[in-house]
Amino acid sequence: MPDAGERLNVVVVGGGTAGWMTAAALAKLLPTRCNVHLVESEAIGIVGVGEATLPHIRAFNERLGIPEPEFMSRTRATFKLGIEFRHWGARGDSYIHPFGTFGTGQGEVDFHQYWLRCVHEGVPVLPLQELSTACTIARLNRFALPAADPARLDSTFAYAYQFDANRFAPYLRALAEGLGAKRTEGRIVDVHRNGETGDIEWVQLEDGQRIEGDLFVDCSGFVSLLIGRALGEPFQDWSKWLPCDRAVALPCRTETAVTPYTSAIAMDWGWRWRIPLQHRTGNGYVYSSAFVDDDTVTRALTEAIEGEPIAQPRILRFLAGRRERSWVNNCVAIGLAAGFLEPLESTSIYLIQQAITALLELFPERKISPLDRDEFNRIVDLEYDRVRDFLILHYHATTRSDTPFWDYVRTMEIPDSLAEKMELFRRRGRIVKYREGAFLDASWIAVYLGQRVMPQGHDPRADVPPVDQLARGINALHGEIRAVVERMPDHVAHIARYCPMAEAA
Amino acid sequence: MGSPVRSVLVAGDGIVGWSAAAALRRKLPQLSVRVIPLEPPPDALADHMPGALPSIVEFQHDLGLTEADTVLRAGSALRLGTRFEGWAAGHDDYVHAYGEYGRPFGTASFHHHWIRAARGGEAAPFDAHSAAAVIGRAGRFALPDGPPDSPLANFTAGLAIHPPRYRELMRAYARHLGAVEQPGEIAAVELDETGAIAGLRLADGGVARADLYVDCTGPRALLRSKMDEDFEDWGRWLACDRLAFAEDAPPAELPTLDRATAAGAGWRFEIASAARATRGIVYSSAHADERAREGLGAPVKLRQGRRARAWRRNCIAIGDAAVAVEPLEWTNLHLAHSAIDRMIAMLPDTDFAEVELAEYNRQAGAEADRVRDFLALHYLVADRPEPFWREAAMVEPPASLAHTLSLFRERGRLPFYEEETFARDSWLAVLLGQGVLPRRTDPLIEVVPPGVSRETMARLRESIAAIVPRLSDQAAFLRQMAGQGAR
Repeated sequence: MPDAGERLNVVVVGGGTAGWMTAAALAKLLPTRCNVHLVESEAIGIVGVGEATLPHIRAFNERLGIPEPEFMSRTRATFKLGIEFRHWGARGDSYIHPFGTFGTGQGEVDFHQYWLRCVHEGVPVLPLQELSTACTIARLNRFALPAADPARLDSTFAYAYQFDANRFAPYLRALAEGLGAKRTEGRIVDVHRNGETGDIEWVQLEDGQRIEGDLFVDCSGFVSLLIGRALGEPFQDWSKWLPCDRAVALPCRTETAVTPYTSAIAMDWGWRWRIPLQHRTGNGYVYSSAFVDDDTVTRALTEAIEGEPIAQPRILRFLAGRRERSWVNNCVAIGLAAGFLEPLESTSIYLIQQAITALLELFPERKISPLDRDEFNRIVDLEYDRVRDFLILHYHATTRSDTPFWDYVRTMEIPDSLAEKMELFRRRGRIVKYREGAFLDASWIAVYLGQRVMPQGHDPRADVPPVDQLARGINALHGEIRAVVERMPDHVAHIARYCPMAEAA
Repeated sequence: MGSPVRSVLVAGDGIVGWSAAAALRRKLPQLSVRVIPLEPPPDALADHMPGALPSIVEFQHDLGLTEADTVLRAGSALRLGTRFEGWAAGHDDYVHAYGEYGRPFGTASFHHHWIRAARGGEAAPFDAHSAAAVIGRAGRFALPDGPPDSPLANFTAGLAIHPPRYRELMRAYARHLGAVEQPGEIAAVELDETGAIAGLRLADGGVARADLYVDCTGPRALLRSKMDEDFEDWGRWLACDRLAFAEDAPPAELPTLDRATAAGAGWRFEIASAARATRGIVYSSAHADERAREGLGAPVKLRQGRRARAWRRNCIAIGDAAVAVEPLEWTNLHLAHSAIDRMIAMLPDTDFAEVELAEYNRQAGAEADRVRDFLALHYLVADRPEPFWREAAMVEPPASLAHTLSLFRERGRLPFYEEETFARDSWLAVLLGQGVLPRRTDPLIEVVPPGVSRETMARLRESIAAIVPRLSDQAAFLRQMAGQGAR
């Protein structure tokens, strides 16, 4: 019987965020099915430049039994209610993409449809941003955990974290090693494949040591050591839609507020992130090398950041896209080895997590069934493709023409799947609905309206109530939201009580 | 952008037509809604079949109708699911109830624990872990109740309606809401130069016009078929092409499960509302002995499949005009309700932009295709010796069903599909009820020792069994409902 405890030797290559998340999850959740062996080289280092996440990460931590206050304290984390986008639709614009709904989150007709009706009839009504609990908490720099009762306004948001990725991997490492995962230090110099099947049999380290395995998880990052270099899986290049291919990172002291949100600020040649942690603020400028040189960008970033830099500027190179397949033979790629999408919507860890979840749910036998592999690839491809469209929207939905970069993205051809979504929104404010995926209705609404994609029409059901009654209700809701949020503690005060970082070592 | 839709013409005098008219008036009172009362033909099953899924209750509530109207006054009964008999040799009958089967525990879904026990030869029937199934088998009834972790909290009930009375109710309600009946026969459907409907020429010489035409005339689709006849035929997977039925007085004790019993070349059903009992047979004319329908009415021909695009320009097909399937699992009226809701939620302007209709058709098509898969599943995983059944089991499934079946057979996984009508537990009820046992168990349950799984399952069965004696039967439940209504 195949379930009589067949154990696979799983070799995880790479010890960054993806590698240790994978190792910890496998060791925790499939202890009878695998021996986890992670190979990493401290000489290589990890990309981790400070991570902003999506709310899904809470489910991952919960599954691994990670206590939230401890995790936040160790990774010097702050809370995150969404992302502020500045200067995207036009210079001077600002909006928040909230992890939460607009309005009460209830009712048969989407709230924004009523709002659109007021706008179309010229009835004065507050911006939709002011009608979101999550946006309001963020703008007021507050925080409290969401309520469970769906009838309450303070149940209409979710949250994620902003944390120091350089501290997350070691935290998970301790957890994984405590659960029996083995770790070997060393640089891989050779990948040996079976001549007949093409499966990977072992990897060889610099010191001659061979590490054999049944299943190899490639978490080697951009170098894509196994699936890219050894197995030669082709890369789907999406740079024609997402032309940014470099980032310069420069952390600094926090001089302004420790905001419960990440900022993505559009710049002349791309955009820059601002991620406030407990002990510092992460900054980076993402740009396209086809339009601008590294020095110009580094200068611009240095001028833009709010406080004294606490490291030298570091340049990262990448290419947007994904491997045709993430699971080939007995090799599963997770994280940057599988694909890259710029951190505009904080999807890196989300995509790692989705791949890990799919691997857990489709964990193979020693003789790998193509059914498991194909299903894994189907799930992962769908996630990447949907996130891709959402990211392209941010660049394309702009009125900016102040540099050749913005001219290009504003006028470029976009995928048909996105063109249809945009047309549906433009006509009547409709969102293509999915039940699963990283970004659901409210996310799309926030970005469309925040970037000046204004529907011409609205849902005819929103025409039913008298318009002045609608406007009164909407304005009253704003007051209720303010009242709820003003009772919440300050973000920094909440952290200080709940999860303060240990004194810097 | 065009001007808003202001007028709608509904063709059809059955449940579907009047339900569409009522919903349009209720949710979009700014519309003028007229109904041309064309009698639905016998193959318009959504208008004639008594079984309805739980979605009917939600649809009625949205319209502002209460159970006092739709159950007590219309002579309906409540039903918890269907009992399937004789579909798989060597397996007992099973119940597909509309609710939770088991409760998740440990790190994976309940069914993986059950599969592990079944592979060890020591599992109680899968449906013994569903409160609704057990209550139904005992002939009792309850509405969901209690805290979310109670076995009684997580199921829903559908209805067995008496179609003529239900239609009468819906017609009266639609007219009450302001829908106007415009008697007449359609002599011709006139198209304009773009292929849209320009108007309906009536037998009395008049012409009826509207911004939007809603075709609820059954599979013949009197309006929509004039624009094109593009049809996806599902006969390969759903080979039954005849239906015959008869009505009797209702039984003294009203069951809360109806029956679907496999027969030589199809299946028989028995279902009862408070007003009438209905029994019938659905079969393949190529395989059946005509004696199979003795004592039943004239056979109705079925051609199963769906219109490639339900909505084109200013005409939308709803009900059997859009999707024609046999009454197995009672999806006909459900699909009609879902189409009505979707039409209203996605109503475009009078320019009927292709991008908006395409999105409607994408969703409606995906929904219909998964219903097709669920029905085809019953035949594909059946196990009976007759030629009809042997052929049905050998058909190559549609790609989406093949995907579901291969993953389930391999490792008990049900892949996610958008627009799915039936919940995962419904798929499991049929798959496991008909004896499809996955080859592997899910490794994620291995952190829970088999003994702990067994005890947890046994405790759940006991807690369900303990509830049943406290519950009343359907008649007592309806009496109680009537009493509450009277107060």
